[in-house]
Amino acid sequence: MKRVLEGSQAVAEAVRLAKVDVISAYPITPQTHIVEFLSEYCAKGTMNARFLRVESEHSALATLIGAATTGVRTFTATSSQGLALMHELLHWTTGARVPVVMAEVNRALGPGWNIWTDQTDSLAQRDTGWIQLYCENGQEVLDTIIQAFRLGEWVNLPVMVVLDAFFLSHTYEPVDVPDQEPVDHFLPPYEPKFQVDTKDPRAFGSLVAPNAYMEMRYNIAEAMEEAQSCFQKIEDEYKGIFGRRYGLVEPVYCDDAEIVLVTSGTITSTSRQVINDLRARGEKVGLLKIKLFRPFPVDIIRQILKSIPKVAVIDRNISFGASGIFAQEVRAALCNLAGHPLVFGYIVGLGGRDVTTDVLEDIYWRTKNNNVPEKESIWLGLQEV
Amino acid sequence: MAEKKETENVVPLLFPRSSMSTENNLTGSWRFLKPCYEEKTAPCSTACPAGEDIGRVEMLMTQGMFKEAWETILKENPFPAVCGRVCFHPCEGKCNRGEFDDPVAIRSIERFLADAALRNEFNPSFDRLSSRKEKIAVIGAGPSGLAAAYFLTLLGYTCDVFESMPEAGGILRWGIPLYRLPVSVLRSEIARIENLGVHIHTGKHISQDFLKKAQGDYSAIFMGCGHSSTRRLNIHGEDIEGVENGLEFLGKIRRGEKYSFDGPVAVIGGGNTAVDVARNVVRLGGKSLIVYRRRRRDMPAFDQEIQMALEEGVEIRELLAPAKVESNGNEYTLTVQLMKVTGKDIDGRAAIEPEGGKTEEITVRKIFKAIGEEAAESWYNPPGKNKSIITLSNSVLVQNSKGSVLVFGGDLTNKTKSVVHAVASGKEAAIALDVLFKKGFDAIESGLETCTVGEGPSLSMEVYMGGPRCDRTHHVVVYDEINTDYFQMASRVSQPRLLIEERLKTFGEIDLKISANSAMKEAGRCFNCGLCNQCDNCYFFCPDLAILRDDGPQGRHINYDYCKGCGVCVVECPRNAMVLKEENQ
Amino acid sequence: MIEIRFHGRGGQGTVIASILLAKALFQAGYQVQSFPVFGVERRGAPVEAYVRFDKENILIRTNVYNPDHVVVQDCTLLQNIDVTRGLKPEGWIIINSPVSPDDLAPFTGFKLAFVDANGIALRNHLGTRTHPIVNTPMIGVFARVFNMPSMDAVEAAIREEVPAEVEGNIKAAQDAYNEVQLIGLIKEAGVDKA
Repeated sequence: MKRVLEGSQAVAEAVRLAKVDVISAYPITPQTHIVEFLSEYCAKGTMNARFLRVESEHSALATLIGAATTGVRTFTATSSQGLALMHELLHWTTGARVPVVMAEVNRALGPGWNIWTDQTDSLAQRDTGWIQLYCENGQEVLDTIIQAFRLGEWVNLPVMVVLDAFFLSHTYEPVDVPDQEPVDHFLPPYEPKFQVDTKDPRAFGSLVAPNAYMEMRYNIAEAMEEAQSCFQKIEDEYKGIFGRRYGLVEPVYCDDAEIVLVTSGTITSTSRQVINDLRARGEKVGLLKIKLFRPFPVDIIRQILKSIPKVAVIDRNISFGASGIFAQEVRAALCNLAGHPLVFGYIVGLGGRDVTTDVLEDIYWRTKNNNVPEKESIWLGLQEV
Repeated sequence: MAEKKETENVVPLLFPRSSMSTENNLTGSWRFLKPCYEEKTAPCSTACPAGEDIGRVEMLMTQGMFKEAWETILKENPFPAVCGRVCFHPCEGKCNRGEFDDPVAIRSIERFLADAALRNEFNPSFDRLSSRKEKIAVIGAGPSGLAAAYFLTLLGYTCDVFESMPEAGGILRWGIPLYRLPVSVLRSEIARIENLGVHIHTGKHISQDFLKKAQGDYSAIFMGCGHSSTRRLNIHGEDIEGVENGLEFLGKIRRGEKYSFDGPVAVIGGGNTAVDVARNVVRLGGKSLIVYRRRRRDMPAFDQEIQMALEEGVEIRELLAPAKVESNGNEYTLTVQLMKVTGKDIDGRAAIEPEGGKTEEITVRKIFKAIGEEAAESWYNPPGKNKSIITLSNSVLVQNSKGSVLVFGGDLTNKTKSVVHAVASGKEAAIALDVLFKKGFDAIESGLETCTVGEGPSLSMEVYMGGPRCDRTHHVVVYDEINTDYFQMASRVSQPRLLIEERLKTFGEIDLKISANSAMKEAGRCFNCGLCNQCDNCYFFCPDLAILRDDGPQGRHINYDYCKGCGVCVVECPRNAMVLKEENQ
Repeated sequence: MIEIRFHGRGGQGTVIASILLAKALFQAGYQVQSFPVFGVERRGAPVEAYVRFDKENILIRTNVYNPDHVVVQDCTLLQNIDVTRGLKPEGWIIINSPVSPDDLAPFTGFKLAFVDANGIALRNHLGTRTHPIVNTPMIGVFARVFNMPSMDAVEAAIREEVPAEVEGNIKAAQDAYNEVQLIGLIKEAGVDKA
């Protein structure tokens, strides 16, 4: 049934539908509403999960690693500094091969203290071995959370579902909340491939000597690769039941485009409006939405962009000393392609600055009007200081 | 019902999980120092003349095991309800907790346990040795005589106690005022001793003939006749009517005689009797004036008693020695010689001498003499030294060539005249006699040494009878050996008392009871020096998991196959109940 | 697409008002989007919230800069805030006020409506005498001014979103619907009834 929900509530509804067993989280703006909804569900008994209050995000994830090792479905949510505090255990989750699912509400890192949206927090965790999925609206958030459990449990890797602070987390819009029965059909109870068994005691996360460590890392790398095809199968099935499918990436008007904007998060949604307007004015512009960031779907991106002359990557994040992180990834994906497109990188919207239709149009025209990028990263909208 | 989902991975899962064990490496072979469980002696228990196992009492109390805690006291002292009220608690002075914040209120807890036992009519179980043929007579049913009979009975002897007064108790019954010791409390303690099989014969005239006859009938005689006679002042006018002996006055009050005072009353002396007399007088309408020849700080009375006397309005005049007494009608004139301090005597008290010819006259309505007591008959006292006499810490043993052994105890032999010293005396005499009967006269001193608490002189009957307390070493735990990281500052329970106004109106007991909650909390402050309270720190801290729980009395043992002798357990033991020994010891 | 801006004070239920309106419009068959100005403020400070609605899917996910209409939940805000900032010409300004503002000059070129929402809230026991809660009456006014969403849709939205005093809130919305004063377009010279 379609209901007008806040993005945070879309997350919470999906977690309830997924029948998560253990939730552990520590509140941080702008993720707070998610855990407020979930703790209320648990308190009222509309959700049958253990909600564990802990003293930090580090403990929240540590708790879930332990819980997941016992073979139950687990969820947490965080943002920004909270995610940074989890960093050590993000690696641990992957190495322990437990399929924890996390909602990560993108928020800028401080100082300067800033609660608004910025992707640097989640992208800075790209090397931790977590699958990362970026969403553009409340419906996609709900659907992706449900899918994330299937995906993580399939490949035994943790999954981070990422949503923009406020523009998504605190925005109310109509969301189709599915009934429990089809969700149960799509997402049966978790069947762990391993779990703690007191009758067969084992040490988990034990010492691994040089003679075996590389093989275990390679095993994670292979599982990451496999996650792409698994996610496609999961999406096929989801579409069959619920009628919605998002894709690892989504090309819009890319077939004949001369310039393709590469976007993620809510900027994608506004960009759809912008390219519609530009197309109406005869501009040959396309859009490539990247939903799956880890594993990075290199082959599909190459396939879509191989014959596009110019690509404009829009980054609401910055890797200091390098460039926007999506731009780096897109460049790396394309560089071995003969006659690859020119890649323009734009830095916009850091710390919650609004990325308006004007900004996005500006990106299009700059890309169109320059034969080559002026520099690796073009910062837009900087004010005199 | 959901269908089975495709979850098979192309790549099989590889992740760190191990079932290997390192147990085949017996790394304990590295060890050159060996931790062992070793219980030691708490300083309070050595300070207690009766050698009570205080650390264990507090531990049981903390665990809510009131009956067991009370029985632990009874192993060493038949009078917990009395001592919980009137003991001058030397234990608290040696309490290691005193260096941390405040000593544990050991006496208050003892009283709580004793009262709880009376209120709940606990029936104690006693460890007793098998019956002996020897019969023993005890002369005097005061605290030392009753203690001697009690311990001798536990050791298997048959005891008859002979008492000249109409009721047993001695100084407890006829001396100590009601506001310190209610009579019902004393009676129930004595009843427990009688129930054990001790026969008390009251109203017996004790004469030398009686003693002679008894020496034929009994294998040994314990002389515990006490000091019931007030020492003379040896001044002019001390025998005129109206000048009374303090101890007799206390006895008359306890027998129910009516007194009332009006105006100032002089009490001459500085001991507990003097203070008790003065405090009785204020309750009967008088104005007490203690006249003492040294300074207040030199008074042999217990400090707490002096303090309460002052609160109740008793006045103390220092450095005044009585010179003469004259009667003039309704009043008496007490002439006193002013004294001055010249130094210290051997006990650390002030050495004094008259200050020139300075005198002062004090006019009072009544005078009590209380400068100390002595035996009522000279033959109560032990004979002078000879080779058939052994002088022990709290008793004197005389072996006659024919007839029974004579043991003198209680106030007759004790330097400090207190109830708990009387108990110590009775216990010492009982053990000494048992050694004598079993191993002979010459074995007595070495026999007593086997059961000292720490280095003595306090003795433990539990140790003598071979109880679990035998496992303790004589090492007395000092404050620095306690790991105070495991203790938090906590204030000592404050003893609730009657208001001063209430005290002056009645002879009701001054010290009120404390609640079970407060008593348990207070017992929880105890470090339990040298004793294991099963806190499991050793178990938690052992980095080699070499400490294993078991069902034995220790509750755990050390697996020396893996103990590397790091000593963490010994360091982390809060109470010093472990020790590191050389490996080949 | 129509964009609405709400002006209120922190703690006054301004965000709830925007959500209520979005839900009512959704009931009435519109696509909707509602969100507050994201920030940190103390209770009592001026706050804003927005509603977008359209028959089509709403793709744009930015702040609202040029609202079609504004709702002012507290007339005391008029002293320190320019409620006409970015407001499109001839847009409605709906004010919670017992009387028409004395000085109409600042509203020239816009349409004006006012309602005594505080009085209506008090009458229906919403909030307290010191802090009447006016968000449901303001939605009732909106429904009257634009002749949509229907009062049925408003009632449904209140039933879904408001946790307490549901009947009082519905009655208050209805009262406001009935009692609003529509002044209409303010021309430079005077008033032109709408």
